[in-house]
Amino acid sequence: MKQMTKMLFFITVIGLTSCSPKITSNFTNSQPKLSIDESIALLDIEHKLPESVTKIGDLRFQDSGFSTDCSFNSLMTQARIEARKNGANIVKVVDKKTPDLWSSCYRLKIELYKYDGDASSLPQYELKLD
Amino acid sequence: MKIILRTILLSSILLTTSCATIISGSRQNVEITSEPTSAKIYINEIEIGNTPVQKNLKRNQEYQLVLKLDGYETYETKLEKKFNAWYIGNIAFGGLIGIIIDPITGAMHKLKPEEIDGNPKSGTTYKTEGGNLFIKISLDIDPNSEKIGQLEKAE
Repeated sequence: MKQMTKMLFFITVIGLTSCSPKITSNFTNSQPKLSIDESIALLDIEHKLPESVTKIGDLRFQDSGFSTDCSFNSLMTQARIEARKNGANIVKVVDKKTPDLWSSCYRLKIELYKYDGDASSLPQYELKLD
Repeated sequence: MKIILRTILLSSILLTTSCATIISGSRQNVEITSEPTSAKIYINEIEIGNTPVQKNLKRNQEYQLVLKLDGYETYETKLEKKFNAWYIGNIAFGGLIGIIIDPITGAMHKLKPEEIDGNPKSGTTYKTEGGNLFIKISLDIDPNSEKIGQLEKAE
């Protein structure tokens, strides 16, 4: 019985303190890859999407395992890498769940867009190094 | 009272039996220099400053490095997370808790510059001393740039 309690305790500890961002992506309109010199705007929930944008695809970051690399900054960095690969210059967060009792990870739903204007001039989230 | 004592005991065990976490910590000190110096450095596209630069980076993440200097080609590389051998200490000392804690803190990893076929990317040299990572990047002259003059310090 004691053994069982210990096992349960460890499983609970692992379950509550570990997480991994599982990325689900769906690209409907991929564009040529963007170079490192082209800027990508990171728009959080409160930032408005400009007019006349073309949707490239969706990303979804979920919690599913044993990694701890799932802070908001880390997920946005990963989203930007995916955006650059698929030719999107706007990363727009459309749904955001902050870490809570059930998960120590941010969980995000993101839409990727191509914008013909200057993405760097848009009001946006400023990425920080964790 | 017993519960509090047990909680304190358990917390102490959790905090003191993770080999790599104790030895290496969850972050790694990384120093980046360049030849020539004063190149603008970006980590994950965030401007950090001009080389030489020192940063304490999380071990459980991968980082993208970009160096830019007028007249030189932009240099791109990555810092990858590799296995930290101190993690094996948990097995040697039988630390089951350490086996769980080290991956959570990220201490089971160490940062290393990207390698191609087992060798550092051309232009990158590095060494590790006392857990700190020292990287030196040599920038190539941009063949499209043309030298039109040079400023000299007035005496």
